[in-house]
Order: sequence, then structure tokens, then C-alpha cells
Amino acid sequence: MITLENVSKIYYPNVHGLTNINLTIQPGEFVSVVGQSGAGKTTLAKLLIAEERPTRGKIMIGGWDITKIPARDVPFLRRQIGVIFQDFKLLPQKTVYENVAFALEVAGIPSRRIREVVPQVLKIVGLDEKAARFPRQLSGGEQQRVVIARSLVHRPRVLLADEPTGNLDTINTREIIELLQKINAFGTTVVLVTHNREVVNSLRRRVITLSCGQVAADHAEGKYLLPS
Amino acid sequence: MSLFVNSWRIIAAAWKHFSRNLWLALTTVFVLVLSLLSVNVLLGVNVLLSNAVRQLEDKIDVSVYFKSETPVAVVEQAKFFMTSLPQVKDATVVTAEKALEDFKKLHADDPKIMSALAELDQNPLGAVLIIKARQTTDYPFLLEALNNPQFDFAIESKNYDDHSDTINRVRDISRSVQVFGAVLIAVFALFSILIVFNTIRVAIYTQREEIGIMRLVGASNAFVRSPFVLEGVFLALFALGVTSVAVYSAAVYVDPRLGGMFDGANAGLVAYFTAEGWRLALIEGGVLAGLVALSSWAAVGKYLKK
Ligand SMILES: Nc1ncnc2c1ncn2[C@@H]1O[C@H](COP(=O)(O)OP(=O)(O)OP(=O)(O)O)[C@@H](O)[C@H]1O
Ligand SMILES: [Mg+2]
Repeated sequence: MITLENVSKIYYPNVHGLTNINLTIQPGEFVSVVGQSGAGKTTLAKLLIAEERPTRGKIMIGGWDITKIPARDVPFLRRQIGVIFQDFKLLPQKTVYENVAFALEVAGIPSRRIREVVPQVLKIVGLDEKAARFPRQLSGGEQQRVVIARSLVHRPRVLLADEPTGNLDTINTREIIELLQKINAFGTTVVLVTHNREVVNSLRRRVITLSCGQVAADHAEGKYLLPS
Repeated sequence: MSLFVNSWRIIAAAWKHFSRNLWLALTTVFVLVLSLLSVNVLLGVNVLLSNAVRQLEDKIDVSVYFKSETPVAVVEQAKFFMTSLPQVKDATVVTAEKALEDFKKLHADDPKIMSALAELDQNPLGAVLIIKARQTTDYPFLLEALNNPQFDFAIESKNYDDHSDTINRVRDISRSVQVFGAVLIAVFALFSILIVFNTIRVAIYTQREEIGIMRLVGASNAFVRSPFVLEGVFLALFALGVTSVAVYSAAVYVDPRLGGMFDGANAGLVAYFTAEGWRLALIEGGVLAGLVALSSWAAVGKYLKK
């Protein structure tokens, strides 16, 4: 369970990223976060992975208070929350397999275990056949699937996706969203930040609308409310 | 989490950083070698100077010339008395006969002196007592002790040269070399630290994507940092190896060529660096690796703050 209590984030010197956010996200939920540019969506994502610290308020993830999480504990948080960003962040000189394995290597997982896990997650995202390719030899959608595979290696309880489809066409977007739904069906909480009206409306799941750093709407089976 | 698996991955990563920026790495090694060389050149010069002082000090002695015809017993008594003093390291007697023989040998080519000697029907030379003190500062005392009524009547003259001018000059040079050397070492050490800092920053810059991803997927700070620190240590060890070879070769080359300045066969550099080599390598390598590791650690540090 993720809870935010009266969370505010003020960037230096005086930019209000988020103001007084109160949210609860239950395990297994699929939540879309929408809002206009500058509304604070990425700020929210960064707070959840402790890339930024809240100025005020309290953030709990699975009973763990990460409000003032010390730097040495951040890596453990990152292994519990898979992260996907719009710019894929794959290493160009590593193959698909190596990119995914990398996330396990840096966490000190033994090589034998890595050889088990990587094919499994590549199969989940449907890229087991293309494990030996380099990122430049993949389509945008496939690249994003590699990122998703990489975010899954630690079996995270939460998957955080900040505009994962921002660079993709409709078909690839469809594929990625279906993949996220599949992962959610396995029990993983998914938080999806998106600008895509069709995606949000077709999901028929909870939608949180941010506006100027505040929660403007929060509906269990929500719709994309913003003017386009 | 297996320590062994991690160590291996960290070493592999460090090696990769090193080889990716090979030219930069080599330049850094070059600067590190310069600073190590400055230390060793100073050490070498110190060895030369202290060997020179020791050799000069070895030459100091008091020669006591006895009157000719002085009975052997008086000379032996003087020797016995002087040897019994704790300040005396060594006292040897050159008998009158031996002194004459030496004198003849020395002037064998000079017919005038030889014929003058032939005219004499007895040995014009007396015995000589050569006294060496344990410490150069003991000589004034020894000269005083020679004024002993038991034998001072038989003494013709005393000859004492303390070489103090030369020794003091060498000591002065030695001091200036040390001051100058210390400044040089400090400057090179500072350069080394800055250059290593910069090298690691560049290494971080070329790896920035990888570091970003590492942090995103949950690599611990230590895991991100260690390869860079290790890279610094690689650089230091590499520099140490190059310096060791250079210093030893230089010593082998220079030693016999400086022999002329020393009465012995060589200047004692090879002997010094052979005897102290491991200890020096350990100390210099240790200090350098420590400094470099610290510098690398600091260089990554800024990147990890967040
Ligand atoms: N590091 C920062 N320093 C200062 N201000 C920042 C920083 N990051 C974000 N902001 C500001 O905080 C506000 C919220 O930014 P945020 O990135 O969360 O918006 P967003 O909803 O993700 O927008 P977009 O849809 O364009 O990605 C904006 O006004 C932005 O300018
Ligand atoms: Mg954003």
C-alpha cells in the first residue's frame, strides 16, 4: 500500500511542484495519473522512488516510511519499485539480454540466478527470441518492452511508468499498455503517468487528475477529463 | 548477496573504465610516475650525500708523529693508553722501519731524496700512531688526552685534519636538497591528486548513462563507487611498477659512473634501492594508492549525492 499524507514538494528556490497531496493506493491497483504539463506528475513519480524528497508530509510504501529515507537505503527501495521512463534508458552497447541482466548484476545477484531470471522476464514481455539483439536493432515498442523486462527482474510490488508510451505510435502503445495490464494481473501495483486520452479511457480503472500540483479529481473508474 | 560475485564484477568494471579512456589513463599514470620519481630522486640524492659524509668522516684521524729513536715501549704505551679510551675506535702503530719503507716507496722516483736518505746512517723517521675516534666530535678530547706526561715528551708533532669545511658544505647541500625536494614532492603530490580527480570525473562522465541506470535499478552506492576508486588504485599501481623499473635502472646506470666521486667502486645507490626496495615500494605505493583512492572517492561522491 502506498500512502501520501499532506505531501508538498517545493523546488528551489520557490517552485511548487506538489501541494498538499493526500493519496492512498492499494496493492494490486492500476492507477493512471494524468494532468497538464507541469502539473507535478513526474514530481510525484520521483518522490515515490526517492529521487526527490518531500518538503513536507509523509510517504509510506508497504509500511516503510520513505519520507526521510537515508541514501544507503535507496537502492533497496529501487529494487521494490520497478521504474519505466519515456526515454528508454537502455545501454546501447549491451544486448537486450545484457541490459536486463545488468539490473541484477548491480544488485549482486549470483550469475546462476541471473541466467534463470532473465529469460523468464524476457518471455513475459515477448522478447525471448530477440535476446541477442542490440537496442538499435529494435523498434521503439520493443525497446520499451526491454525496459519493462528490466524493471521486473527484482519482482517489484510496484511498477511506476512515467509516460512509457510518449514516444510510441498507437499500435506500440496498445502493446505496452496490454503488457502493463498483464503485469498488473499478476498482482503488481501499476502507477501509470500518461497524456494519452484513449489509453486512460480504455483502461476503465482509477484515474487521478493533477492540476497545478494538487489533486483535482480522483475517480475509481475514471475518464480523461482534461481538455485536449 | 555474494561478496565474491560482486568483487569480480567491480574489478571487471574498473578495468573497463581504465581501458575505455586509455590515453587519459596513461597521461595520469605519467603524472603519478613523475611524483613518485621526485620522491625517489630525493631519496637517491640523500643516499649519495650521506655516503659522501660517511666517507669523509672515515678519512678523519689523528696522526701522532713520534721523535726518531723513541723506544718502541713508549709508542706501545701511548697506543695502549689511547686504545683504552672509550672514544677511540681504533689505534694503529706504523713502526719507524715501516714509515721509512713507505717513505722510500713514495719517493722512489726522486733521486735527490733517495741520495739524501742514503747519506744518513740511521732512520730519520719516528713511529706514527694513527688514531680514529668513534665520533667526529671526540677528536678535540683525544687531542687533549695526548698531552699525557707518560709519553708526550716523545711526540714530535700531531696532525689532525677534521675535513670540517667539506663536511659542513656537504651537510648544507643536503639540507637545501631536502627542502627543495620536499617542495617538489608536495607540488607533484598536489598535481597527482588533481589529475586523478579529473581523470575519474571524465571516467564518470563517459559512464554517466550507465551510472544513472545503475542507480535507477537499485545498485548500492558502494557498487557504483567501487569501480572508480579501484580504477584510481589501478593507476597508482601501474605508476608504481613503471617507477620501480625506472628508478632501479637509473641506479644501475648511475652507480658506477659516480664511482669517481667516491673512493669505492660505486656510489651505493643500487645497494640502497636493493635493500630498501620492497619497503619503499610498499610505503610509496601505499601512500599513493591511498591518496588516489581518496581523490577518486571524492570525485564520485558529488555524483552520488541525492
Ligand atoms: N528539479 C526541478 N527544479 C525546479 N523546478 C522543477 C524541477 N523539476 C520540476 N520542476 C517544476 O515543478 C513543476 C512540476 O514538474 P513535473 O516535472 O512534475 O511536471 P509534469 O506533470 O511531469 O509535466 P510533464 O507532463 O511536462 O512531464 C513544474 O513547474 C516544473 O517546472
Ligand atoms: Mg513529466
